[in-house]
Amino acid sequence: MNINLLDNKGDIKCDYQGFSCLVEFYDRCNNCMFEEIEVDMGNVQWLDAHMCSPFGAILYQTSVANFIKITNINKKVGDILSKNGFLSSYGWMKNPDTFQTTVEYKRFDTKDIRYFNDYVISDLVTKKGLPRMLPKLRKKFVESICEIFDNAIIHSQTRLGIFSCGQFFPFRKRLDFSISDLGIGICQNIKQKLDLDLSPEKAIQWAVEGNNTTKAGYIPGGSGLKILREFITMNKGKIQIVSDRGFWELSDREETSILKNPFPGTVVTIEINTADKSKYGLTSEINPENVFN
Amino acid sequence: MADEVVVGIYSIVGSSFCVASDDGQKVFDRVKTLMENGKKIRLSFLNVESLTSAFLNAAIGQLYGKFTEDQIKDGLLPPSNIEPDDLALLKRVVENAKKYFSDPERFDRAKREVIGEGDD
Repeated sequence: MNINLLDNKGDIKCDYQGFSCLVEFYDRCNNCMFEEIEVDMGNVQWLDAHMCSPFGAILYQTSVANFIKITNINKKVGDILSKNGFLSSYGWMKNPDTFQTTVEYKRFDTKDIRYFNDYVISDLVTKKGLPRMLPKLRKKFVESICEIFDNAIIHSQTRLGIFSCGQFFPFRKRLDFSISDLGIGICQNIKQKLDLDLSPEKAIQWAVEGNNTTKAGYIPGGSGLKILREFITMNKGKIQIVSDRGFWELSDREETSILKNPFPGTVVTIEINTADKSKYGLTSEINPENVFN
Repeated sequence: MADEVVVGIYSIVGSSFCVASDDGQKVFDRVKTLMENGKKIRLSFLNVESLTSAFLNAAIGQLYGKFTEDQIKDGLLPPSNIEPDDLALLKRVVENAKKYFSDPERFDRAKREVIGEGDD
């Protein structure tokens, strides 16, 4: 069976339109059972590399009951996706990343946090081709990514893993990174833990606001996304969350929308401004003597 | 064993990446046992390069559910070798934990706020 990723020639960017295309594709795959699916990428003229994270998650979910083959991919897109390792899962040779400018596509199990940390160091800290950033900015970026990964482990209940990928845009001086899970989604998590019925987009808003948390018991929560939001605002970057049919984005303004079809989990993307010279943390000097008072 | 003990975060986690809740849990287990035995603990952040609220919530925030604020003030000495921004994060986690454990009705309030917003 042949399924087009896009019906007409176009790009898949990390925005509402790009996610609409991916979830529409997922909807078509969702009806297949024990089929050989040829994913025809012939109409895809550009794919933001970090969109490999949600795209890979969708293909992984689909491959549980089907066999996936990727066909008809154009040279430009094929080069990037074989360099970042995405196509290696679908029988393509991996091209060497000579200039070390890609952030690899990877799938992790929830017990793989150490392996994820090593990946962050090798792909985002020590890689030669990635942008120079002030050490404090890089530290904040790395900590934000790790916080998102830990959130996916704790909240998503994913059994199929966590998918990540990044992309550097040198001219715009932006570094994007996406983490996707195939879990229950934010809306369902809030329903299960708090018996609170929220629409998918309201559920995302609830999760990113103030100190809201679904955590119960002895480990407090609720500060991770708030801290991430503050960092991204100061950095003039972007956070985007897609969960079920909800789409939420914060950049210079906040935007909430509903997708036509659901994503089978949650995708969190952060984009940072790598040229940022802000002095993170220096405004909040605290005396160690008072920290537990 | 002396009454004052230095607990090295790096040595418990085994990495300079102190970012996972599971690793925070290991620190919590160690500190809890020491506090239950009347020790005064100085947490050392020597060689810690990355720190998240998820880690600190499990390692330190959780203590506020087991011990009173006074017991913690008495049992935890000022941390050592900690960067100013990591100290700021620790302070934030501590304040969040105090709030979390002192307000069990918080979820119900959040629920009402969201439902009220939807009614407008």
